[in-house]
Amino acid sequence: MIHSAVKEIRKEKGGIFTIEFDADMKASPGQFLMIWVPGLREIPMSLSRTEKPFSITFRVFGDSTRALSELRRGDYLFFRGPYGNSYPVPSGRIAYVAGGTGMASLKSMIDRYPGDVYVGAKNRDELFFVESGYYIATDDGSSGYRGTVVDLFFSEGKEYDYIFVCGPEQMMKSLYDRLPKNTSAKVFMSLERLMKCGIGICDSCSINGFRVCKDGTVFDLGQISTMTEFGISRRGASGKLEFLTNPKR
Amino acid sequence: MPDISTKIQNFSMKTPVMLASGILDESSGSIKRSLREGAGAAVTKSIGIEERKGYDTPVISIISTGLLNAVGLSNPGIDNFEEEFRPFTEKERVIVSIFGKDVQEFLFLSKRVESMGFRVVELNLSCPHVKGVGSEIGQDPETVEEIVNELRRKTNLQIWAKLTPNVTDITKIAKAAENADAFVLINTLKAIGIDIYSRKFLLSNKVGGYSGPGIKPVAQRAVYDVYTETGKDIIGVGGINTWEDAVEFFLLGAKAIQVGTGLYYEDYAIFNKINTGIDAYLEKENFSNLGEIVGLSVR
Repeated sequence: MIHSAVKEIRKEKGGIFTIEFDADMKASPGQFLMIWVPGLREIPMSLSRTEKPFSITFRVFGDSTRALSELRRGDYLFFRGPYGNSYPVPSGRIAYVAGGTGMASLKSMIDRYPGDVYVGAKNRDELFFVESGYYIATDDGSSGYRGTVVDLFFSEGKEYDYIFVCGPEQMMKSLYDRLPKNTSAKVFMSLERLMKCGIGICDSCSINGFRVCKDGTVFDLGQISTMTEFGISRRGASGKLEFLTNPKR
Repeated sequence: MPDISTKIQNFSMKTPVMLASGILDESSGSIKRSLREGAGAAVTKSIGIEERKGYDTPVISIISTGLLNAVGLSNPGIDNFEEEFRPFTEKERVIVSIFGKDVQEFLFLSKRVESMGFRVVELNLSCPHVKGVGSEIGQDPETVEEIVNELRRKTNLQIWAKLTPNVTDITKIAKAAENADAFVLINTLKAIGIDIYSRKFLLSNKVGGYSGPGIKPVAQRAVYDVYTETGKDIIGVGGINTWEDAVEFFLLGAKAIQVGTGLYYEDYAIFNKINTGIDAYLEKENFSNLGEIVGLSVR
């Protein structure tokens, strides 16, 4: 278990926080840490910055994330990692499509390899890391396009060489389904599943034999096309196969 | 080329390396992947009667000599398991691990497993971190004997008993389970871990099981003791990362081995690395088949 002093903690928006810290590690965009809140849970979180000072960005959704959001400068942040693969280095015309907190995973790519950024959220209060020139979609229309970020992406109709996607699985499935079958774009999606171990042994996050934590989290279109469970079903905490009912974004 | 196939009673395997219960064996897709990547057979995650979510995270902790885990026997329950595995096409290469709180539960689960078309059950008499099941019943020779004998009488399954090392004398438990077809030795060692900066326990359940390289000598002692005492078929498991580790287990009496935590260190490549390593070793040392070295150092 690594421990590192919090350098800075800031509120991005409503319930979304960023914690900055230093650590002697090498990380690449797309990788994640298993963040441990001692006495509470251990949770996988994308690095929103993959060089010093490193950072994680997360939404408060339970006791453990609330405790994290209450850390102060100098307090210890406990974690192991970084784990998982990373996004490949792109060239040419680049697009990023982020839904919800998927923006945290894409942030370090956007900083390194500028491109068009499409961001979707429920409403304006849940948008973060937004800069001028971004394409914005909100479910309620409180900011930018009213509708899903996938609708917005296709309505713009622009062509890209590389497309990086991170967000709720149903949103990514919707994008996947609407991509032209003969697309020349190289598309990479960072998937999210219930993760318990983070090191490729517990099988909780597996999709058709691919482990999201170890073989991913970033998968290319060829791999995704073989995942019959993608956007359809996932494993619950017991390992039971459950069917997805989340709304698309 | 030497023959590295092996047989546990009438259960044949092309290679002697199996996937151990509890690692990458919750989903049918992952079990298929192990079989595709060189495992001779695979054991499922332990299945109980009811669906169980297991413990909250952290359920795994990495320490210098292995892993600590307290996953908490999370499993979908026998009904959901059947739903997912009924269409599974390689049942002859899969062993179903089951756990229960008493002989009735073990019998019920065994009959379900048998009716699905599986041929072998592995009895989890050894999980060290869930109350009322696993090692809590596996430490009692009378209960172990009752379970094994009842399954022997009432099913046609091949029965493998996975025993706990968390006892004073593992041969006493092995003798109680002597009507089993084989012993799987060993499950994890009951253990605990603490972090000195947070001063909190590493696992949410506090107590867990210790696996990995650090437990190999303990597992090997158990294999040696039970082999010399009973002479029965043994599947060795505990801290195996390399083909050299595997060969040590064979020399001490194991006819096959299982890897679990080894997948953390070597990933799926572990199966074929061990297979080819054993093959090369037998060839170099002038053995024609794996059977020639089983128990060789003990005989």
